[in-house]
Amino acid sequence: MARSDGNAAKYVYGVVRAADGSPPKGRGINGEPVALVTLEGLAALTSDVLDEVLEAGRDELLTHSRVLERALEGGAVLPMRFGVVMPSAESVRDELLGAHRGELEAQLDEMEGKVEINIKGIYDEEAILREVLEGNPDIAELRHSIHGKPEEATYYERIRLGELVAEALTGKSQQDEREIVDRLLACALQVEVGQAVHERMAVNASFLVERDRLEQFDRAVDQLGEEQADRLRLKSTGPLPPHSFVELGMEG
Amino acid sequence: MATAMQNRSTTLPYRGGSGYVARSSSSGLYDVLELILDKGLVIDVFVRVSLIGIEILTIDARIVIASVDTYLRFAEAVNRLDLMATETQGLPEMMEGITEGGAESKTKGMLQGAKEALFGDEDEGEGDRERSTSRRRSTSATTRRRRRSSSGGNSSGSSSSRSRSKSRS
Repeated sequence: MARSDGNAAKYVYGVVRAADGSPPKGRGINGEPVALVTLEGLAALTSDVLDEVLEAGRDELLTHSRVLERALEGGAVLPMRFGVVMPSAESVRDELLGAHRGELEAQLDEMEGKVEINIKGIYDEEAILREVLEGNPDIAELRHSIHGKPEEATYYERIRLGELVAEALTGKSQQDEREIVDRLLACALQVEVGQAVHERMAVNASFLVERDRLEQFDRAVDQLGEEQADRLRLKSTGPLPPHSFVELGMEG
Repeated sequence: MATAMQNRSTTLPYRGGSGYVARSSSSGLYDVLELILDKGLVIDVFVRVSLIGIEILTIDARIVIASVDTYLRFAEAVNRLDLMATETQGLPEMMEGITEGGAESKTKGMLQGAKEALFGDEDEGEGDRERSTSRRRSTSATTRRRRRSSSGGNSSGSSSSRSRSKSRS
């Protein structure tokens, strides 16, 4: 039951500059205090874990995210993916901070003053299906031909209808994704376009935004949201640490 | 949530006000889940968490997205559209109209539904129930059974209706 024990296994949240790392406030996973493990200019945000295998529950995931978000208020943060546990503070120093010093320092410099904003857009079901019918006479016709008939008698036609709708939706989302990403990228530095995780998702993209331009970015999102209000709903999440824009290479 | 909002408002003068865009910090787990699990720095050899359950769930859901099931749900949804001038409403359609409220939840993304079953609704603060479900989530071997039981149990109905009212608001 060691607390903040140098020999305890360390859950690692992310990497910051040691100079920015005033002792972290708040608690980490399982209520353990968040502590810095430092090596020269670099510091890892860690907390002790007792178990060999960590649970990936709701609380653990949220805690990971919140520890990073708090740290982001103090300066650049390089977030770790959820679930990295290193056997000891020494291992954090040697195998993370030491072994990857060059790329960690370079990315901390690069990410200074920048945050990630994730934008998701979900179509309004009724509005987008109407668009699909209006823009595709063949789909409208197929719908009309089976409308009101018993389900059992039109099973394969219904599958075909749904398939055509799904295809049309994919086409729409590709077009909308391109437009939305282009518009917002004008106020951002980089974009990482993710997969749709919902069948009515038009866009799922993370943008790297300078804090100085966050207001401009937000306004652009609002404007898009207003323009698209009758057919899709935008959701903006952030500012987040730059999850989508950091990477550890093979160095070390 | 409250602290995150305060922090944001002190550092950021403008975070929108048009009402057309939903904004949140990372406190909405659903919105950051893929980032936390798929992105960021990682040293593979030190990943000590059993995420197998989540991966299976994600793969399942993506298959479902392009399945007969999805097609049938889309077909049902277009069939329920009331195309006013183009069709005269018969009794069957009127009946469908009554149950129309259910259509959206049926065509709601499987992944979202599955995630809700796993993680609960995205709102924070509902402590005990979520805690107890996450407690059971410790080993990969029981993942499938747990997923089945959590989505088939009494939590799924309430979480889907909650989510529907959220998306409407």
